[in-house]
Amino acid sequence: MTTRQSPRLADGKVKAMKKVMDIERSATLVPDGSTLALGGLSMNSSPMAFVRELIRQGKKNLTLVAIVNGMAVDWLVAAGCVSKVISGLISFEGMGLAPNFRHAIESGTVSLEEYSEYLLIARLRAAATNLPFIPTKAGLGTDVIGLHPETTRLETDPVTGEAYVACTPLAVDVAVVHAHAADVLGNVRVDPKLLWMDNEIVNAAAKTIVTVERIVPHDSFVAEPHRTTWPRFITDAVVETPWGAYPSSCFPLYGHDKAFFAAYSKAARSPESFQAFWNERLAGPGTHDAFLQANGGAQMVNRIRRPAT
Amino acid sequence: MNTASAGAECTIDELMVVTLARQFDNSTRAFNGAVSFIPVCAYLLARKTHAPELVWAASSIAVDADPACLGESTLSDSIWDGAVMLSNSPFDFWAWAQGMRYNTFAFRGAQIDRYGNVNNTVIGSYDNPKVRLPGGGGMADLGCMIPDIYLWSTTHDPRIFVDQLDFRSGIGWGDGADHRESLGLPGGPKLCVTNLCVMDFHPESKAMRLKSLHPGVTLETVQESTGFTILLPEGDIPSTDPATSEELRILREEVDPTSMRLREFP
Repeated sequence: MTTRQSPRLADGKVKAMKKVMDIERSATLVPDGSTLALGGLSMNSSPMAFVRELIRQGKKNLTLVAIVNGMAVDWLVAAGCVSKVISGLISFEGMGLAPNFRHAIESGTVSLEEYSEYLLIARLRAAATNLPFIPTKAGLGTDVIGLHPETTRLETDPVTGEAYVACTPLAVDVAVVHAHAADVLGNVRVDPKLLWMDNEIVNAAAKTIVTVERIVPHDSFVAEPHRTTWPRFITDAVVETPWGAYPSSCFPLYGHDKAFFAAYSKAARSPESFQAFWNERLAGPGTHDAFLQANGGAQMVNRIRRPAT
Repeated sequence: MNTASAGAECTIDELMVVTLARQFDNSTRAFNGAVSFIPVCAYLLARKTHAPELVWAASSIAVDADPACLGESTLSDSIWDGAVMLSNSPFDFWAWAQGMRYNTFAFRGAQIDRYGNVNNTVIGSYDNPKVRLPGGGGMADLGCMIPDIYLWSTTHDPRIFVDQLDFRSGIGWGDGADHRESLGLPGGPKLCVTNLCVMDFHPESKAMRLKSLHPGVTLETVQESTGFTILLPEGDIPSTDPATSEELRILREEVDPTSMRLREFP
């Protein structure tokens, strides 16, 4: 690794520390009423510590963009932070339906703008690339196309006569994603970057907040620039949050905590038991460390930590 | 767990996996989504028996993964061991799906109709649902993109095999006949494997047709368990081909020694 001091840091022209902030301050970048896109996929790599901070700050009327998600959306819905969810799938996979989300949609307290996975990706790409629409054959012949003709409209190509769906831009105010490492300038490394659609939401968003397992020396980015996922001009805030995806996973460091998912689902069977769970293990603990402690601390960490590879 | 047995040596889950595995060959290039233990077992079994060149991307991410056993999620890193690649780009994934470099996908649904269309969105009306289900996720997309579609259900009953879907989350043969082709979509559903029987699709009408009955299952049981009139094959209805002892050994010892596939049974 090079030991050369980066000129960007040395001459002080880049206001490095401005992007590094604590989680409380980073959450103030999400005003009430924002359209907020959540990174990760299903039980993988969601910015859960940040989501918990939104709950602690009592955010209201958020529109969530969550392509394939479960626990993060369920928390925010349970806390009353959400007026609308834009999504393709919300569940706990084989562990069942997301209970608060399900109840909120069935009772109409939260509205759902539903698409398929790719239609949402296409809408985000239209926003990211400043195009009036992205065409796709995804969803043809299904009822998904009829749900939102204003944003996913059925068209016929005038030249070939082929049917397609025109997906209009979905603009996002703030994207929040979880990553492995960043430097103080806001260069970010997802290590390894995996299939989920974090790039899609980041590129469609006016602002991006990244929670990271650790902040590393800037020189490590210069030494291995090919491993950088997002350069500093893409990111607006960096928050050092070890175990920040818990109880979702952060491959290859730790897996999702299936015991948490099971206990959460069980508690949600009655309002009383859910309230107790919520107070003891979720919203009650103050700091992220206190939250980890409330969910088993070192014992839990040993359970979910993956063997070093 | 369904108590119906496929014979002394083989349980229903095993028969379903073996039946599905035999559909695949060296040209199969597959991937999987959530709660897909039966097809995941089938891809691995096919690869470890007659189709060594079969491609399977675990969780749609881990190409050529070779896990020692399956984990409790088919969308998590618990099944990625041994992979030659952890795919990092949704752009590549969707290009590989739309370009038919991936050619095989299996899905199931809370409801399945006679044309192999599926619902995983709502039970009841969309605006006032009786049950709000997880949502279709990639079903609506992949049903349009992937030519070789396989359906499976571990609970063949009239609540799942319905005359009319409450919502079409993913397309199979659409309205039947040439509807799918007229939309410019490739291929279509090939087979539906359930805990009672195997069904294919009539070559013209594209309606579901009984292909074989699992041992001990009668035609009447299948008819009573299906909410639409199921087409029958010409002549006698065959019994589903039994699993070989070697297939069972590999499934039990090498593919899924911890029996995660049973998580799909109520």
